[in-house]
Amino acid sequence: MKQKPFRGLSAILFKEFIVVWRDPMTLFFMFFPPLVEMIAFGYALDTDVKHMALVILNEDRTVESRQFIDRFVNTETFRVVGEVQSIEEMSSQIRKGRAYAGLQIPPKFTQNVRTGYPAQVQLLVDGSNSTTALQALNTALSVALTQSIESLLHVTGRHNVPIDIRPQMLYNPAMKSPNFYIPGVIGIVLQIGTTFATAMAVVREREKGTLETLLVSPLSRWGLMLGKLVPYLCIGMTMATILFLIMRFLFGVPIAGNVLAMMFATLVYVFALLSLGLLVATQAENQMQALQMSMVFMLPSVFFSGFVFPRETMPWIFKAVGALLPATYFISLARAIILRGAHFFEYWPHLLILLIMSILLFAFCALLFRKKIG
Amino acid sequence: MAEAMIECDGLTKRFGTFTAVDHVSFNVGKGSIFGFLGPNGSGKSTVIRMLCGILEPSEGTARIDGHDVARDTESIKEIIGYMSQKFSLYDELTVDENLIFSGKLYGLHGRDLTKRRDALIAITHLEPYVNRRAALLSGGWRQRLAMACSLMHQPTVLFLDEPTAGIDPVARRELWDLLFEFTANGMTLFVTTHYMDEAERCDHVGYIYMSKLIVWGEPDELKKMPEVNPPGTQRLDVTCDHVTTALQAMRQMRGVHSATVFGQSMHLLVDENVRRDEIDQKLHSVGIGHAEIHEIGPSLEDVFVTLSAKYAAEEEKAA
Repeated sequence: MKQKPFRGLSAILFKEFIVVWRDPMTLFFMFFPPLVEMIAFGYALDTDVKHMALVILNEDRTVESRQFIDRFVNTETFRVVGEVQSIEEMSSQIRKGRAYAGLQIPPKFTQNVRTGYPAQVQLLVDGSNSTTALQALNTALSVALTQSIESLLHVTGRHNVPIDIRPQMLYNPAMKSPNFYIPGVIGIVLQIGTTFATAMAVVREREKGTLETLLVSPLSRWGLMLGKLVPYLCIGMTMATILFLIMRFLFGVPIAGNVLAMMFATLVYVFALLSLGLLVATQAENQMQALQMSMVFMLPSVFFSGFVFPRETMPWIFKAVGALLPATYFISLARAIILRGAHFFEYWPHLLILLIMSILLFAFCALLFRKKIG
Repeated sequence: MAEAMIECDGLTKRFGTFTAVDHVSFNVGKGSIFGFLGPNGSGKSTVIRMLCGILEPSEGTARIDGHDVARDTESIKEIIGYMSQKFSLYDELTVDENLIFSGKLYGLHGRDLTKRRDALIAITHLEPYVNRRAALLSGGWRQRLAMACSLMHQPTVLFLDEPTAGIDPVARRELWDLLFEFTANGMTLFVTTHYMDEAERCDHVGYIYMSKLIVWGEPDELKKMPEVNPPGTQRLDVTCDHVTTALQAMRQMRGVHSATVFGQSMHLLVDENVRRDEIDQKLHSVGIGHAEIHEIGPSLEDVFVTLSAKYAAEEEKAA
């Protein structure tokens, strides 16, 4: 007998929407943690360092030396938290974590600058966090360089520097790191909120014994799988919309590109994640296993998707792992559309990969799902 | 027997080294009730699952209405209904929604669906509860709803796996009255149960013990089996006070093969030459004054207990 491919779909949809709607706990656990995580991640992943604690050892005590210190403060990267009397005291302050950097101005600083001798200024930086240390270092170097050039210009009588570089930041003009991270955060948070939902929805029926009744009926596996997926797709898209609204209005990151294109990419991504959940469900015996299996995909998605660490610098093996994760393509798409306002012609390869991936995942789990027990 | 609806031939299921169902063969006639009995874990549910096409037989064949259960699974699904041991209802759904869901699952829709639902609500008297969540129904009503759900698509064969487990006696009686109505309309029923009174009401019964079907047939025929009625013995019903004390005494008496309590009385299997006044005398000696004694035939329970004891003894001898 030839069977309709989606036989029983309407029955599963009918039931699943009611069950989801009447189970506030599931809805709560789908919505609440991602929202909290989005807000927490968004604030925590701000790597722009401002007002780093700086201690001063000023052995020169002249107007010029104080002006030099002011230049440091004016960058907003540093704030002076105190003065010390010796280089040992400075090191101890940094070691104790009271200061992040120390600036030592030697006794003959002003005299040396005026007479044309090199004035040596020492900067101690806590290098335990390389990102912030690098930023402190860059700021200090540019302060010193600016002042040096000004002195030289004064001596030579020229009014301009020989080469004037005029950098212009496209797409993220203020170089704000939240703008860079938040599209990725949405990708990760969506994965946390959705993958386990379909896994649980199927495994719960296996545990309660209702799956047996479904297997005895002429319901097709495609009907069952799609019926389980669609309600959570609706929930996932609602959640995504809320996350985009938070991004826009709480973090002030607008979608530079086409909003509809972004929503379509999100739809394909959530479909892939839910299929992944169904794949877990075909293998898991109980809800505990389902939860653990969905978590297996979590860490690689954080580390290898390019969410935090750039994929360009990864060893090939991690890059390959990343290439298998839906999050990798979604994050790349989200950055392209949200931050760069990219056009369809510029990002379609990633969208196509994501689309193929979600269709394959769905087909794969429907084929793996055995309509038998034992 | 009428034309066969269910035919099992050497049906076997092995899980690893364990044989859960061992070469089981029997037939169930169209429009009859087949009672499937046996201790827990003897393989009853495994047989049902194979017949429903959700468990692959390791060996042997089974047919339902001519369709092979292993090969023609999808055709079988259209004609069978299955009420599992766990009453697989959706607790979050109301009575009405559970019925609608079951109907949709089998492709019913529109007028057909609502008409069928209304008919089943009427048959099972679920009217007062239509809008109640399944989770809030008591055991008896849950089981009626589960049965109504399994009947939405008008199956020709209905499998019921312990439908009366944990149900009060009144609900049990009412359920069986319903089952008889269904068979009157031509439906074939396959019921597993632990209750002997239910077994007595079946057209045919089968008894599965240690994965093997040790006997099947009409209840009355089984009671006439020579193994159950050894030559030179008789079965007696003894009604007296202090049954437990009396039982101890009877078991010590010469010529008594077995003694079992049945409520206020005992059933004895004794040699034909044991006289009733000998029994009276023995009871007097343990302080029991008056006893009513009369001859009885074997019950279905006697049949199953005798046959399984015999089977176990043979197995032991073989090992």
